[in-house]
Amino acid sequence: MSAGGEPKAIGGAIVPNKIIAFGILGGLIGIYAAHFLDSMISPVFSFMGALGAICAIVWGADAVRRVCSYGLGTGVPSIGMLALGMGVVASMFGLAVGGIYGPILAFVSAAIIGLIIGVLANKVLGMNIPIMEQSMVEIAGAGALTIVGLSTTMAGTFMFDEVLTYVVAPGYIAVIFIAGGMAILHPFNACLGPDEHQDRTLTLAFEKGGIAMVIAGLVSAVAGSAAMLPTIMIGVFIWYTSFAKFYELTKRDSYKILGSGLLPTEEELQ
Amino acid sequence: MEPLIGMGVLALMGAAATIAGASEDLESDVGSQSNPNSQVQLAPQMMYPHRIYNKAISGEPPSNALMCAIGGTTASVLMTAYSMSPLFAIAMGALFAAIVHGSYSISAFLGRPASQKRFKQPVYLDILRSHTPVIMGYSYITTFCILVVSYLMVAVLGHPFPLPLLAFIWGITVGAIGSSTGDVHYGAEREFQNVEFGAGLNAANSGNIVRRAESGLRNGIDNSWFCAKFGGPVTGIAFGMTVFLSGWVTTVFNPAISPIMGWLSVVAGVILVLIMIIWNRKIEVAARAAFGPYKEDEVAA
Repeated sequence: MSAGGEPKAIGGAIVPNKIIAFGILGGLIGIYAAHFLDSMISPVFSFMGALGAICAIVWGADAVRRVCSYGLGTGVPSIGMLALGMGVVASMFGLAVGGIYGPILAFVSAAIIGLIIGVLANKVLGMNIPIMEQSMVEIAGAGALTIVGLSTTMAGTFMFDEVLTYVVAPGYIAVIFIAGGMAILHPFNACLGPDEHQDRTLTLAFEKGGIAMVIAGLVSAVAGSAAMLPTIMIGVFIWYTSFAKFYELTKRDSYKILGSGLLPTEEELQ
Repeated sequence: MEPLIGMGVLALMGAAATIAGASEDLESDVGSQSNPNSQVQLAPQMMYPHRIYNKAISGEPPSNALMCAIGGTTASVLMTAYSMSPLFAIAMGALFAAIVHGSYSISAFLGRPASQKRFKQPVYLDILRSHTPVIMGYSYITTFCILVVSYLMVAVLGHPFPLPLLAFIWGITVGAIGSSTGDVHYGAEREFQNVEFGAGLNAANSGNIVRRAESGLRNGIDNSWFCAKFGGPVTGIAFGMTVFLSGWVTTVFNPAISPIMGWLSVVAGVILVLIMIIWNRKIEVAARAAFGPYKEDEVAA
């Protein structure tokens, strides 16, 4: 038996590979689209970076969901913080040395850091969770893409000098860290339980990603106000639609939704 | 800066931090966040369905860091991009943070019971409607006070960190202190008022939290009423003292004057920590003497 409890295969309608592809491709396309459309057409398009970040957040939330189903109850928040911790280091490194290949380099270095942490967790700490290495690579990559994506929206580009001026020096990196990390860890933490469903958890990831997008839009006013309004409006739209969907799925999944009432009776609980 | 003004600012920061600590703990008690949440979460599995708010956002430090960082970011953007007055910017930042916190609270409240369908815990919407505004109100007060502390550090004391980063760090700190200080009063006392005082949590009692109130069924607001008597204020004092004393040593012995003063501030800090350790030990011994010895088997353990 592993230290994290009996291994449990966790089901889901969407297979992991599809979500991994969605996260990586969506994330990188969003980031590069924001960078190029921003400089070529209009600064308005920097909202694409936050859309890329939402793809990465959803992927990260699914990776957290898969690894945490091995009985990491109170470890869920820690895993989310770990994801963004690895992501911050990797994304700063990647953007600083990578130039135009910055986001890709950030992603690759995050994957390497994740692999090392995963191997350490399994081999040295003896956690013996079969998917640990892969999951650590995934959440580190998702964390890095989230940070680069949100930074791109805030600064209008992922070039390191601008990111340093508009995101790191004024301290907005702190809100990226925590809003991105919470968006990755909160969905599974909020939906933890034996009757958890993938679609409900991932809908929540979209909702929290929408909040992160609104914040990124607000901060983009510092670098130039063109992208602020579209980013906030798209973020609010994503937040609202996914929240409505989440409430619908809660109604589907919960035992009962009551306006008010007494506790279930003894007979009802049998 | 005049030392007297420095002390005045420090006193104001200490006062704001005391309010922040108290409201942070009460906010977590209304929603049963952090450690006591594990029992609220466990109760339906042990056949004890309840009407207590289940706010499993994350631990208290990350969720407070989130709302304080959001508040600090919003305030900073409003001040830099729109040249708004600091007070208005801080108020707007705290408002936005409270709204986001409300959204996180609702998703946790809806998500957890829905993932426990087999244990038949209903989702009570009146609890959602009555408790979420209270949670948002407390989180507004917490964020506002933390932002006041952070802003004073940046604008008056000349701290090199930017406002969002300081707010983030103080958010983690207030969450950690609320989690370690105030939660004991809620988790060990209020949730288990049906067992003997000081009995600790026996494994057989897991999930058997008190679910009935003086009148009707107990909810999160009843819990915050109880915790407002001791747990909240004591958290406030703990956090206020942390902010005040950690600033006090460098205000009295300012390292900017000379390196010797810097070392004196370190020595003063160490002396303060030693006094705290001895004082805490005295309180513990006095409490044991006043409330009777622990039971035989617990002494052996």
